[in-house]
Amino acid sequence: MLKIWSMKKEQQKAENEGAAAGKKKKVTAAQLRVQKDLSELSLGLTMRTEFPDPDDILSFILYITPDEGMYNGGRFSFSFNIPPSFPHEPPKVLCREKIYHPNIDLEGKVCLNILREDWKPVLNLNAVIVGLQFLFLEPNASDPLNKEAAEDLRANREGFKRNVKIAMSGGAVRGEVYERVLI
Amino acid sequence: MTEVIATQTPPLLHKPSDKERKYDRQLRLWAASGQAALESANILLVSSGAGVVGVETLKNLVLPGIGRFAIYDDEKVNAADLGVNFFVDESYLGKPRARALTELLLELNPEVQGDWYPNGEVKSLEPLISNDEAPAFTVIMYTYPIKPEYLSLLESYSQKHKTPLVAIHCAGFYSYFQINLPGPFPIVDTHPDETATTDLRVLAPWPELITFAEELTKDIDNQSDHEHGHLPYVVILLHYLEKWKTHHDGKVPSTYKEKTEFRSIIQAATRTTNAEGGEENFDEAVAAVLKTLVAPSLPSGLKEVFDYEHTDPDEQKSDFWIIADAVKKFYEEHKCLPLPGKVPDMKAQSEVYIKLQTIYKTKARKDAAEILETVRATPGGDKVDPAEVDLFCKNAAFVKLINATGGGKISSKADRLKEVYVYHSPHTAQEVANDEMAEMTLQPLSLFPIYLALQPTSHRVDLNSPPIKAEKILEEVAKLVSDADKNEKVIDAAGEVARAEGGELHNVSALVGGMVAQELIKIITKQYIPIDNTCVYDGINSRTQVLRL
Amino acid sequence: MDALTGNITSEQDRWKYLDKIRTRPGPNTNRQVFDGSNVVEYMSKMRVLVIGAGGLGCEILKNLSMSGFRDIHVIDMDTIDVSNLNRQFLFRQADVGKFKAEVAAEFVMKRVKGVKITPYNCKIQDFDEDFYMQFQLVVCGLDSIEARRWINSMLVNMVDEEVEDTYKPMIDGGTEGFKGQARVILPTVTSCIECQLDMHAPRAAVPLCTLASIPRQPEHCIEWAHVIAWENEKPFPKLDNDDPVHINWLYQKALLRAREFNIPGVTYSLTQGVVKNIIPAIAATNSVIAAACCNEALKIASNCAPFLGFPDNNYMMYSGNDSIYTYTFKHEKKDDCPVCGNLARELTVDPTWTLKELVDSFATRPEAQLKKPSIRAEGKTLYMQSPPGLELQTRPNLEKTLVDLGLEERQEIGVTDPAFATVMFKFKLKFAIK
Repeated sequence: MLKIWSMKKEQQKAENEGAAAGKKKKVTAAQLRVQKDLSELSLGLTMRTEFPDPDDILSFILYITPDEGMYNGGRFSFSFNIPPSFPHEPPKVLCREKIYHPNIDLEGKVCLNILREDWKPVLNLNAVIVGLQFLFLEPNASDPLNKEAAEDLRANREGFKRNVKIAMSGGAVRGEVYERVLI
Repeated sequence: MTEVIATQTPPLLHKPSDKERKYDRQLRLWAASGQAALESANILLVSSGAGVVGVETLKNLVLPGIGRFAIYDDEKVNAADLGVNFFVDESYLGKPRARALTELLLELNPEVQGDWYPNGEVKSLEPLISNDEAPAFTVIMYTYPIKPEYLSLLESYSQKHKTPLVAIHCAGFYSYFQINLPGPFPIVDTHPDETATTDLRVLAPWPELITFAEELTKDIDNQSDHEHGHLPYVVILLHYLEKWKTHHDGKVPSTYKEKTEFRSIIQAATRTTNAEGGEENFDEAVAAVLKTLVAPSLPSGLKEVFDYEHTDPDEQKSDFWIIADAVKKFYEEHKCLPLPGKVPDMKAQSEVYIKLQTIYKTKARKDAAEILETVRATPGGDKVDPAEVDLFCKNAAFVKLINATGGGKISSKADRLKEVYVYHSPHTAQEVANDEMAEMTLQPLSLFPIYLALQPTSHRVDLNSPPIKAEKILEEVAKLVSDADKNEKVIDAAGEVARAEGGELHNVSALVGGMVAQELIKIITKQYIPIDNTCVYDGINSRTQVLRL
Repeated sequence: MDALTGNITSEQDRWKYLDKIRTRPGPNTNRQVFDGSNVVEYMSKMRVLVIGAGGLGCEILKNLSMSGFRDIHVIDMDTIDVSNLNRQFLFRQADVGKFKAEVAAEFVMKRVKGVKITPYNCKIQDFDEDFYMQFQLVVCGLDSIEARRWINSMLVNMVDEEVEDTYKPMIDGGTEGFKGQARVILPTVTSCIECQLDMHAPRAAVPLCTLASIPRQPEHCIEWAHVIAWENEKPFPKLDNDDPVHINWLYQKALLRAREFNIPGVTYSLTQGVVKNIIPAIAATNSVIAAACCNEALKIASNCAPFLGFPDNNYMMYSGNDSIYTYTFKHEKKDDCPVCGNLARELTVDPTWTLKELVDSFATRPEAQLKKPSIRAEGKTLYMQSPPGLELQTRPNLEKTLVDLGLEERQEIGVTDPAFATVMFKFKLKFAIK
């Protein structure tokens, strides 16, 4: 049974020890979890990470260069910002280029269920990057962020493929100029 | 899809009023109607003893803005008050405690009126409550210990004016409070849990809903993935129910086995060849099968309302009972309740969902109109507000009757104690063990021993008299419940009550003051469900129990 | 009057009712730990920290002062808003805009003679372990899960098993409408906030694509205005949830969108509620929960009656929506809790080692046996085996000594290894030249 509240404590001693123990930075649960997730990432040949400041593992950039599908030949980058409340809350992910994709809007917001409504603390960063990679293999037209791109994909898959090529090389689709992302 | 209306005048800058801003956090709970009820309430507190729990309750009612209150308290502020009551200070030492409490409470909210008694004009309780000129009290609360003559004055006022009467007793770590309502107390706006209120009637669809579902699903197998993946789950259920019926003599799935079979059919109809590898709307339909395929039935709360036999003919003429009778007639005729009309959010295209919503709303309005017609045809029904009818229809399944067996008359304290005595006397012990009153018996987790142990100090008004001993408490308890004085839990409880010597612990009084305030808000606003009728609190084990006493 | 107060209100007279309970044992008192003769003095010296001076905080400050605590400290970074006045009873209209902690402390000190309340108008994160070490008890009245988790992790990590006074009991209250909960946490001994995270239902998020293409509810329109329209149009540099002009902008946007889709129900009040995630709050519920917390504080401080927390029940749930329902139970500690299930172990190292020597040492250390350990200190990435880019960036560290890398005695390091999915070691360094 604890007796923390009992009165006759060697308060002096405790305070001294407390002072000695203070100041030193503790490893927070969020950072430790990110460390674990990072060391378990399986990036394969199509993905690469970049840490502007290696001491700050909560923000980094992920590059995806799809080697198949209609986005083959492009290179896309996503900024990852992991909140201190991770893994209770999901990482914040934004596409850094303006691209033509039904599930990514012109501001770079990504519609991926596990980045928002379906995020669970048991999911890890690997699940997120796998999800992002999948978006380039199977763009999903049914509930889009970029409505025009989704309409194109639904209406005419071949036309959509052509548009992707145009957009990736920095051309305009439906009057919207996209960023060149070809390698 | 609806086209954007290009030239809309933007709405004016909305400015919530000062009052809306101040009361924002509570308006989200009881809305403007509840607030209006609070603002017209007039509450009397008759305080004695250590006098903390009453003022703590009032604090929680003054802050949200009750109309007015009055405090009657014979005591003068003394040193002990300063260590237990936050609404007195040194400057009031020797002055009427009612005045200190009232003045310091009024600082909390300039919109509230408050009076204190006895004062120069009104010198005792009797003239205060027999003044027929003064506005009537909405609720009266009193705290134990109380002088027996005060109690009988309050009880007769309560009977005469049909005023809810709340008794509170706090001593040390123990407390209970008891609400006596003047007759049956119906609540329409019970605020049920959101998830419980879904009523989609897929087993009893009406023509408009059937047509809508048929149109959306007539070529279901050839629909594009996009269309198929956006069928609202209600429509999916209706479609497969129709299919089921053609193979089952026109019957819907009714047993658990049939329902799970039906669920598998929908699961199998989900498309998995699309980009997502599944369909959210079909997942929703699968998840909804068991809770949606339920034949309409009469909820117990409403059944109690329908079966209630009036003892007071005046009561029967109230709006509530006129509407209740009309709903009963509707139920008997249609074998179902009026449709609430709310559609939960579900995966669907915007315009399809809005159409579905409109179909439900239209039907709900039609049902409500039918009931309003019955109401209007009832004597006295012409003055009923249609909004009340709407509210009843929306909440019909959750309407609740409190104090249904109260029978209009408040029994005196002595009678009530006798009742308790009867419940616990040896020759009825057998019955008690089996009936609904079992919770009152002296089971290990029951808090009834605390209630019993507090009884003997109900009228020990003078806190300076020699303290009551545990043995004396047990002796008194034994007079109420034979042999209870030998029960270990009762002996412990008596020891705790004796330890307090009639004093209150601030925390316990603040906690109970919070609970009583919640109850009064529920009674005044007629929203949420009040207790029926006694709540016992045990501050040693941090537990409460509600008993019907 | 002064003469009156000086003579009549002796401390014994004043605390008459309280002392009957806290200085005398009752039938439920554990007499082995209870000593009534020095409770009064001990409690008056005990230093208690209150976190939050809002709805619960105001009540907690009042209750603790009326329970015999005399040295109370309170932290709150917020200032008083008009919407606080319906329950935060220590504040008046004229106080709007002032710091909550300061106004609350001043009010209670004026009302209750002899109590000292020290306010801090800042965030809990502004203080370090040294600050929190001075208290014997922490009572929280917070509205954010984030802040709860932060202080919880601080108190759990402060525990030094050999020093009794490093165990700071934490009492936490929370309310929503007519509901609430009170719980007691004995750091590292009983279930902590992190173990109990499942008790907080996360706010259900709506898919971005629903907001963008198929809104159906008024909330969808408001979220669209909040998440998408604001970002695209940036009408003001930074969204301030408390600025009515900003809320009004979102409201107008949401209203136009709702009209476009024929969705009824967008109001200013709903907009504000969705954007600020407003939780309804009333005085009555705060009164219940704060008092439940302070009742435990009194029992813990005096031992005058058994308290929630150990060994059995540690959690009381309260609901006043439908009658009154309370459920008092024991929330079990989780062995795999990332905060209290993973305390730093001591690791003896030679400060003149290179980082590589430290990394290699984990392979042979019996409790670890890690082949590919990655190592970080807070704010400093020492060596990461992967991803490749990070490995490259941190590889030069391997040749540096621990001292050169800035590591200090008693500092914590985190060690992970992908070979063991569940491994997340924390070590507290102890230097010893070998």
